[in-house]
Amino acid sequence: MANLNINAVKDMTFDAIVIGSGISGGWAAKELTEKGLRVLLLERGRSLEHITGYENAMKAPWEMQYAGRLTTSQIETHPKLSRDYPYNEMTEKYWMTDTDSLYKEEKRFDWFRPNIVGGKSIMWGRQSYRLSDFDFEANLKEGIAVDWPIRYADIAPWYSYVEKFAGISGEKLGLPQLPDGEFLPPMDMFHVEKEVKQRLEKHFPGRHLTIGRVANLSEAAKEQLGVGRSRCQYRNKCNLGCPFGAYFSSQSSTLPAASKTGRLTLRPDSVATHILYDDATQRATGVRVRDAVTLQDREYNAKVVFVCASTISSTTLLMNSVSARFPNGLGNDSGQLGRNLMDHHFRIGANGTWEGDLDKYYYGRRANGIYIPRYRNLGSERRDYARGFGYQGSASRQGWQRNVAELAFGADFKETLTHPGDWTMGLTGFGEMLPYFENKMTLDRTSPDKWGMPVVLFDAELKENEKKMRLDMANDAKEMLEASGLKNVKIYDNGSYPGMAIHEMGTARMGRDPKTSVLNAHNQIHSVRNVFMTDGAAMTSGSCVNPSLTYMALTARAADFAVEELKKGSL
Amino acid sequence: MKRRKAIQLGALSLGAFFSRELAVLAQQPSLLAGASSATTSDQELLLAELADLIIPNTETPGAKAAGVEKFIIRVLRDCHKPEEQKQFYHSLAQVKADGVQTFGLPFLQLNTKQRTELLTRCTVRDKPFFLKLKQLTVTGYFTSEIGASKALAYLPIPGKFIGSVPMEPGQKTWAL
Repeated sequence: MANLNINAVKDMTFDAIVIGSGISGGWAAKELTEKGLRVLLLERGRSLEHITGYENAMKAPWEMQYAGRLTTSQIETHPKLSRDYPYNEMTEKYWMTDTDSLYKEEKRFDWFRPNIVGGKSIMWGRQSYRLSDFDFEANLKEGIAVDWPIRYADIAPWYSYVEKFAGISGEKLGLPQLPDGEFLPPMDMFHVEKEVKQRLEKHFPGRHLTIGRVANLSEAAKEQLGVGRSRCQYRNKCNLGCPFGAYFSSQSSTLPAASKTGRLTLRPDSVATHILYDDATQRATGVRVRDAVTLQDREYNAKVVFVCASTISSTTLLMNSVSARFPNGLGNDSGQLGRNLMDHHFRIGANGTWEGDLDKYYYGRRANGIYIPRYRNLGSERRDYARGFGYQGSASRQGWQRNVAELAFGADFKETLTHPGDWTMGLTGFGEMLPYFENKMTLDRTSPDKWGMPVVLFDAELKENEKKMRLDMANDAKEMLEASGLKNVKIYDNGSYPGMAIHEMGTARMGRDPKTSVLNAHNQIHSVRNVFMTDGAAMTSGSCVNPSLTYMALTARAADFAVEELKKGSL
Repeated sequence: MKRRKAIQLGALSLGAFFSRELAVLAQQPSLLAGASSATTSDQELLLAELADLIIPNTETPGAKAAGVEKFIIRVLRDCHKPEEQKQFYHSLAQVKADGVQTFGLPFLQLNTKQRTELLTRCTVRDKPFFLKLKQLTVTGYFTSEIGASKALAYLPIPGKFIGSVPMEPGQKTWAL
């Protein structure tokens, strides 16, 4: 009997447990296994095999039933998911249904939750930008929230480290507000974009237009070839999963690297419900997991825990891990757990038509757009709001979907649509949202979800600073497009609610002082040193740039630190 | 990159479609109340012919050859509320009735010129129906195998991206 007990404990004991297999968790698994640790990678979602799992990736348009539309049945059963573009006919199976993803809203919050190994790293938009000291210093300089406990110099080598492995295509600009990275060759721009770039940069000195920095392989370097990836085929169906492994995801990149070590154990269908804490040692001892299918509980032990379950789920886990020492959630001495919830706000900008250049077309479908880095509130300029925004955008030539001569039909009409239309170009602003203590998530224990977890109650909104910023986001876009020669330029504002950008951040912020933050400069929980959180929950401010690259860098850096601390016996 | 498409199209198509549905959802107890209209073979034939007027055979086969009426029926049945379906098929019946009234013949016995006249009248008499029919026809056609691969330039795996290439004479729109 003794033998059985020992073996049972052994099977449940690992060097490290990583919770979540998405952008952050995949990196934690890779780094920790490569540094010699036996890692248990827990994922609440179902298994999704690289390549063979991507059911819709190679389908022709006529293999869709509804040309991408949702059915009335889907809209009825997915009232929240069907609010926005990521949930559609082709991506349906990658997202949790609304009946499983129960949550409540004091104010509207659109929460997009994947239900697969790899998490949102399968569906993500792949835009990859570094934060700068404009971001790291902003809270301190403006007296907002708390200071980041790190600066750009601390994370710069780790940006390089993750960029080299992930493979980021882009162009160096030498801008302090958008630090350059380790880039694969940049993707090409359309002729219209090159024209607009020239005119815009001439007309607005200090503003720049560049090709997007994107986690697609314009070329496959040896780091990528080493895990079996090949270069982008320009099909622009990335969010369905790539059979070529041409964009960075857990499946294409970090999981194969971790598997190679022989030290990875991946458990899908595993919902982490509690981090187990031992007050005598002031350490976590492991994780309690509920099987997503059988609803049976098991406990796993480890020396180190990496919480990478995505912002809301990571903080939910900490909030649910109550004990005598931590009645308000693990590590929540500060009361900041669940607070300072942020997202980016967007869905605002302008577009217009370009006259001429009808003798020019393009070849291939670029899985990328152009980017205009932040230019507001840098240097001495002071707008009537703090922080800033960037633009994502693109030119394109109208295709068969364009609205020509409303009432026309017949042979001429058909002929017109089978030839390309005019060039158009649009810009969409992505703005920073300040960290507000009042913007929060809490847990509602009165009606748990099917796994017995309390559901999240969201209470967050855009406030004055964001609203004022949006005026510039709209007006600047119009001004720039008009100055660059676009005609019929129209502003649009489709309204932005927290959660829509799917860059939800904060709720377990890093900081210098355990009284006002949850995590320290190494992403350790201040008061529970062997628990690390390296996903969006850690963000002390949101910047205006896409955050996933920063999660990768924070994770790799924290994993390196964790292993060093383990070796020293400090954990 | 749906986000990029959303950026380009602004408030058009997808975004407007979903938010409209959401607004209606807020007002009604269930989208599924009432049965989906089952279509008769008459209705199917009529839809095929109307779609074929909108996108006829030219150098490439038209909507009828591409079976677009099947797409239209499927989308109406599964993606539209019962009242919308009812309205649509009622409007369809009006076109048929208009034909009998004007030419004294069932639609399928009319020649192309007569049918075109009926559809042209419809663009004024029942513009919402015409626009819906046209939108479904165009989408159904250009995502069909015939439409995408014959009428347009179909290139499933480009292999490279070149931002600027000269337009070939008679260059077709990319299907994807």
